[in-house]
Amino acid sequence: MSDPASAGPRVRLRDVAKRFGEVTALEDVTLDIDDGEFVTLLGPSGCGKTTLLRIVAGFERPSAGEVLLGGDDVTRVPPHRRPVNMVFQRPTLFPHLDVAANVAFGPRIDGLSKAEIARRVDEALTLVRLDGFQPRRSHELSGGQMQRVSLARAIVNRPQVLLLDEPLSALDLKIRLEMEVELRRLHREIGGTFIYVTHDQREALALSDRVVVFNQGRIEQIGAPNEVYRRPASPFVARFVGDANVIPVDVDRVDDGAAEVTVGGHRFRTPASDVMGPAWLVLRPEVVGVSVPSDDRALRGVVRDLSFRGTGHSYRVVVDGVRDPVKAEVSGGSGIDLGATVDLTWDPEACRLLPRDLDED
Amino acid sequence: MQGRRAPVPTAITIGALLFLFVPLAIVVLFSFNSTGSLTFPFAGFSTRWYRQIIESAAFRDAVVNSAFVGGVVAVTTLMLGTLAAYGLTRASTKLRTPIAVLLFLPLTLPGLFLGLSLLVLFSRVEVNLSLGTVMIAHMVYVLPYYLLIAVAALQRLDPALEEAGADLGANTWLVFRRVTLPQVWPVLLAASLLAFALSFDEFIITFFVIGADSTLPLFIFSTLRRTVDPSVNAISSLLLVITLALFAIAFVLTLRGSKTAGLSIDAEPIGGTAR
Amino acid sequence: MASLAEATTRSEAAERPRVRPLIATLPAVAWLLAFFATPLVIFAVYSLLTNQLYAVGTPFTLDAYRDALTSTLNRTLARNSLEVGLSTAAVTVIVGLPIAYWLRFVAQRSRIAVLFLIAASMFASYLVRIYAWRTVLGSRGLINSALDRAGLIDQPLGFLLYSRFAVVVALVHIFLPYVVLVLYAGMGPLGDGLLEAAQDLGAKSSLLWRRVIVPIMAAPAFSAFVFVFILSAADYVTPQFLGGRDGVTLGVQIQQNFIGVGNWPLAAATSFLMLLAFVAVFAVGSFILRRLKLSDIRLSS
Repeated sequence: MSDPASAGPRVRLRDVAKRFGEVTALEDVTLDIDDGEFVTLLGPSGCGKTTLLRIVAGFERPSAGEVLLGGDDVTRVPPHRRPVNMVFQRPTLFPHLDVAANVAFGPRIDGLSKAEIARRVDEALTLVRLDGFQPRRSHELSGGQMQRVSLARAIVNRPQVLLLDEPLSALDLKIRLEMEVELRRLHREIGGTFIYVTHDQREALALSDRVVVFNQGRIEQIGAPNEVYRRPASPFVARFVGDANVIPVDVDRVDDGAAEVTVGGHRFRTPASDVMGPAWLVLRPEVVGVSVPSDDRALRGVVRDLSFRGTGHSYRVVVDGVRDPVKAEVSGGSGIDLGATVDLTWDPEACRLLPRDLDED
Repeated sequence: MQGRRAPVPTAITIGALLFLFVPLAIVVLFSFNSTGSLTFPFAGFSTRWYRQIIESAAFRDAVVNSAFVGGVVAVTTLMLGTLAAYGLTRASTKLRTPIAVLLFLPLTLPGLFLGLSLLVLFSRVEVNLSLGTVMIAHMVYVLPYYLLIAVAALQRLDPALEEAGADLGANTWLVFRRVTLPQVWPVLLAASLLAFALSFDEFIITFFVIGADSTLPLFIFSTLRRTVDPSVNAISSLLLVITLALFAIAFVLTLRGSKTAGLSIDAEPIGGTAR
Repeated sequence: MASLAEATTRSEAAERPRVRPLIATLPAVAWLLAFFATPLVIFAVYSLLTNQLYAVGTPFTLDAYRDALTSTLNRTLARNSLEVGLSTAAVTVIVGLPIAYWLRFVAQRSRIAVLFLIAASMFASYLVRIYAWRTVLGSRGLINSALDRAGLIDQPLGFLLYSRFAVVVALVHIFLPYVVLVLYAGMGPLGDGLLEAAQDLGAKSSLLWRRVIVPIMAAPAFSAFVFVFILSAADYVTPQFLGGRDGVTLGVQIQQNFIGVGNWPLAAATSFLMLLAFVAVFAVGSFILRRLKLSDIRLSS
């Protein structure tokens, strides 16, 4: 679909920054995206991910830095001349045109022949599985269908990069899950470069080849979903992706290859890590086991909250010396009640340590 | 939404409607009076006054002039006004405020001022008064009214649609032509019909800047001073019909325009409107 | 984090200066500068020049203003204009409010029809209305003949026509539809939900009116009032046909000074003095309004 001739990354962002008056929306953004990659920009609201997407689309000019598409510097090029297309958060179908005319909008401007336009429109609609919807109008479509038409309208132009700004956030959960499958299939079939923006980390992990995690305008981590999930680079990423427990601890006594971690009065050993002194202990809730008290040296606490999740139970356990309740996800039956005292256990190899600044929190 | 029982406002509303329409109805009624009397009792039904004025060349000239002026004013206002409304709604800079103030200022000044000052201008530059000077004056008078409608219509559009258009390859002009205009044209057309009607009916300013020609309101004015017979009623009724017809068309266009762009014109949707 | 998002959107809107679209306003701006601003400036200059009978000349002088201010006739006429303007504005707003209320809260299926009728009546020709009222209010017009037939009067009521009363009636007829529509539009924020929420929180009728309805309606009512006041005080046609001797207003005088007498500086000076008076009324009114609304808010806490 995209131009195969250029070597090198399809999209290059170099030191991109964006400031709105006093407010800095983006800083130090440097990122390479390869041809055919599905990259997700992930982060909470206001972290700058949408701003970055709009910079790539051309709706915003960066305050600093460059944007290169297929090797060309497009930093100052207006949106209508960039070889990219965007799918917006809300379906932005033109109300005065039917589905076919909507999809044909870009090709028409390019001046293609009527026959060619019709052919491409049919092709695009078939790709999004809406063949036959040509004469319909936007008010006759469901939310999911409208977004699929938006997709068709974008890909019919065969852009170098397809930009998607939280396209599923306005849809119901069930439709959203279906659309995720559709998006992955579409990406495989077209083989194009997709840049996706979302605040939903589950979605990001499910769809992407690589995830870029943003925090307050800066990139905190770039990596494959697996990588970002299992080896978060910072407490923020750990908390945001997978909702891990991030507990302040102390690490000392590296002894014949092992480190000793002190948490809430409980000590345990982990394989050697480079991290010493004040640290963060990252424990994903699904590795934390909850059991009836048996070992006095175990981390003990009181169940403050307990909810049923269908596949298992979700606990919040208050532990002396640990500020926030420890989250645990246990599959299967429970037998443990609200208010009960429990032992928390985990495989020392399954946790992760990150360095901690004393003024951080 | 439930209607409340409120006898006083209801009575006042009915009274107001009567107040507004009965005098006009009487004018129309007496235009068909078979005698030359303008007072009750109503003598009998006749169309002689209509025949009389239609045969009057002065009347026909006045109508043609009014229509001509109105047409020119409507078209030029459509062009200038649409451009200005676009500029006002798509720009975001402090410069916008003084420009908006200038463009809407004529609304606040009575016609007396506009008429007198234009008369002064024309005498200063030694331009003869004519239908041309009338057109100039009307365009100043009508523009803010057109802007009110056009600005409101353009502001109600979803800006994301224009971004989508640009994203798909349309430059500024194409976005306007293929995305913006198709959504607002009914409202803009209605607004220019309004401009036509305003110009057609204008008297206060026209009085000062017109030359030897006559427009329909001027014709009525001079007839009012001369004669006291139902021919005035006949002219008035014709004028009423024309302007009310224009209004009805504009109204229908506005309703249709709201549907095209998916908007609602009421302060709140009437209970039961499906969306 | 949320505040960053907020700040971004806010400063985004403020900080993205897009000046280029303003170019589109150029034709309209040029037109108004040439045919609105410039004439007014010339007119203002004329008010400072010497009268030369249908012409003006140097030297610059304040004679025109002095004449305008000292003339007792002008004082009477100014008072007439003020009376007519204030009465018309007051009546239209006071009558307009219940009608707007009816449209907003009482009407159901008839709402669109009544809105249509009211908007349509705005399009009835200005001169036709004046003529209509001359017929209705005349000594053998609708009202007098009806009262006579009913045996209620022996002589036709003279004050109905050729009086300030007649002028006000006709002007109310002209401006009422506009005021109703403005007030109706102003009631937009008073959604059913808002009133019910207030009632739910314990507000009685009178409180509802004072704390909720009046503050929201104050601005549209005030702007409608001022708009009608200015236009009716300056009107010069209605008084000519319906005003008789007592109903002559300043507008008529200005027009006559210009066309009839030929004293252009005087006409100009009187016009600008009148304009000044309008601005003063607007300023005083805004001031009072702001004072009232402020005290309202303070009392409620």
